[in-house]
Amino acid sequence: MANARGEKGRSEIILTGFGGQGIVLAGKILGQAAAIGDNRESTLVQSYGPEARGGACSAQVIISDTAIHYPHVRRPDILVCMSQAGFEKYIGELSEAGTLLIDLDLVKPQGLGCEYFSIPSTRMAEELGRKMMANIIMLGFLVAVTKAVNPDSAREAVSSSVPRGTQDKNISAFNKGYDYGAAVLKARHKKAHGEAESGQ
Amino acid sequence: MKDYSIILFLCSWGPHPAYQSLQDMAADIPPEIKMVRIPCSGRISKALLFKPFEMGADGVALVGCKAGSCRYGAGTESARANDEDTRRILHLLGLGSERLRLANFMPEEADALLSFLKDFTADIKRIGKSPVSPPQRSFGLNETWDKVKEAVVRNNVFSCQDCGKCSSSCPLAIAGKPFSPRALAASIISGALSQQSVQEGIWACLTCGLCSERCPSMVDFPQFIREMRAILLSSQVPSPDVHGGFLQSFMRTMCSPDLHTRHWDWLCGDLRTDPQSKTLFFGGCAAYFDAFFGRHLKVNTAKMLTEGIRLLNFFDISPALLQDERCCGHDLLWSGDVESFLSLARLNQEAFRSSAAERIVTTCPECYRTLSVDYPAYGIDIPMEITLIHDLVEKEVDKGAVAFHPCKGNVTFLDPCRLRSMPEGKELPRKLISRLKPSAFKEMKQGGAVSDCCGNSAWIGCDSFSKALQVTRLKQARNTGADILITACPKCQIHLKCAMEDPFFGGDIEMEVKDLTTLLSESIHWE
Repeated sequence: MANARGEKGRSEIILTGFGGQGIVLAGKILGQAAAIGDNRESTLVQSYGPEARGGACSAQVIISDTAIHYPHVRRPDILVCMSQAGFEKYIGELSEAGTLLIDLDLVKPQGLGCEYFSIPSTRMAEELGRKMMANIIMLGFLVAVTKAVNPDSAREAVSSSVPRGTQDKNISAFNKGYDYGAAVLKARHKKAHGEAESGQ
Repeated sequence: MKDYSIILFLCSWGPHPAYQSLQDMAADIPPEIKMVRIPCSGRISKALLFKPFEMGADGVALVGCKAGSCRYGAGTESARANDEDTRRILHLLGLGSERLRLANFMPEEADALLSFLKDFTADIKRIGKSPVSPPQRSFGLNETWDKVKEAVVRNNVFSCQDCGKCSSSCPLAIAGKPFSPRALAASIISGALSQQSVQEGIWACLTCGLCSERCPSMVDFPQFIREMRAILLSSQVPSPDVHGGFLQSFMRTMCSPDLHTRHWDWLCGDLRTDPQSKTLFFGGCAAYFDAFFGRHLKVNTAKMLTEGIRLLNFFDISPALLQDERCCGHDLLWSGDVESFLSLARLNQEAFRSSAAERIVTTCPECYRTLSVDYPAYGIDIPMEITLIHDLVEKEVDKGAVAFHPCKGNVTFLDPCRLRSMPEGKELPRKLISRLKPSAFKEMKQGGAVSDCCGNSAWIGCDSFSKALQVTRLKQARNTGADILITACPKCQIHLKCAMEDPFFGGDIEMEVKDLTTLLSESIHWE
């Protein structure tokens, strides 16, 4: 397993978006993949309440090799934003070497100096026929880009968490996001080595 | 072991008197030399130069008049050009270009002619015998009628309702040729296979399959025609091969198991390949076509292959290449030569099995169809995934992070018949073209699902109606306002280029024809 684990084998993740986008479910799947699939420790703190009706909602996940004593995330290593409000609320907390992942169409990271990863997850989900699968696509993207959990564990966790009868669709959504993430990493690598054009 | 045989094509004007004086002197002309007296060395086409090799000759010498002494003016120059092109093909085929030699002598140069003949014979003996073993064809004249009946039943021809939808969709009939699929089917059923008009009809069909798509009784007309052609050929009714039969000749030559081609000799060095790769790139005959047509039409269809490999390289796939790849057999199958098709298919099957590959990628729609549909239909099992490069590119691009530099200009698309007949074959190229972001994409009249073909298939029966079809096609393409006509088959490129040579229409039908694989490869980049 080639997991690029955070410092001291620990990564802190915040997923944020609108209520109803499946942010909390995505967080739960991520933690479950780490705990059950990869045999590591994980915690989930979810914040919703009035926000579940369309406001900013978030899920905080910690994945660690050792026991987790305090589940609240203050400086996330990975920040996933699926809404502009969520982005604005949490961007200041992202740690310096942290990774930012956003939905290309829903978040405009204006004035942001650092590099980030984006995916048109909502658009892709619409193309796949179900807008509500954007969270699973984002999850696949996150797994590919950050390698926070093993992709096979994540697929297992997706299968066991989504409503029965939609497993295949959700797995293909996960793969879609995962492939996109792998392609983005490859493209960055190629660009860095000056091989982005065909015939070079 | 059979004796060496060397064919000497000898021009009647300059060198023949020299040869005669050798005979008068009872000179020791090597016994391997079989002399054929011809009126002019320039009239020995590439097809005629190559024919002896297909029949197993070990060497061919073309001997004509010296430059400036040709009675007809251009003979010496034509002979030189034909010799050069044919030698290129001999090289690609692995027979060796040195098996063909051109020389020029004046009537008084008997001694020089004799030493040329001796040297050439000695050289051929040094190279050794030709690896080509001409196929022994079996003829079964008396079973013909039974075979016709079987084919009629197998392809559902009895269920023809005589509705005429086939004739109204047939590109040949629309071009004005007196040709009707249903009338042809009815004549064959009534036992008129021996009539000349019926036989002409069988050879004329483009096998494009538009009639079958429209047929309410699901008669598989192209397949039926293919079987009829096989019956005609085995009854010794020759197919009307175009270009003097050259193309069928070189494809048949590849049926010899002892022949080891140099199929990829021409490939430039900047592409990455790997003999142990899980992906095998199957090229096809484009390089041979270029050697044959290049001088006249300036086509470069082999670019499809280099660009195909470049696309694979772009996605970090270094494909394996079969060094002695052979023709897939498409043209031989569709011109009725099932026996030669099967020998090619078996040789390819063997080569595939001995490679480490798990999938085969090809850019040519004909190779794709033949490998994936016709090989299994004839019991040639290829235990690998057969992928068209367009499909592979679409899947990779769909993953994301890949984009194309926008294609400048308006474009339209000509569906190759063998691509159109495959599932996804109509949608796939259009999807890719929209990814290229051309200034505008417009379908031709009679485009898409009802797309007419480029006017000819399997190198048989090209005539004035084929030409009319091509001209109509090009006019339709121009009428869309497109600057570039995109296609995906090397033969479309060759046929359309040929039609543009028309001295009467000239500039009216001229336009840029580009191959889809090349367009993709030239503009793809990582984002």
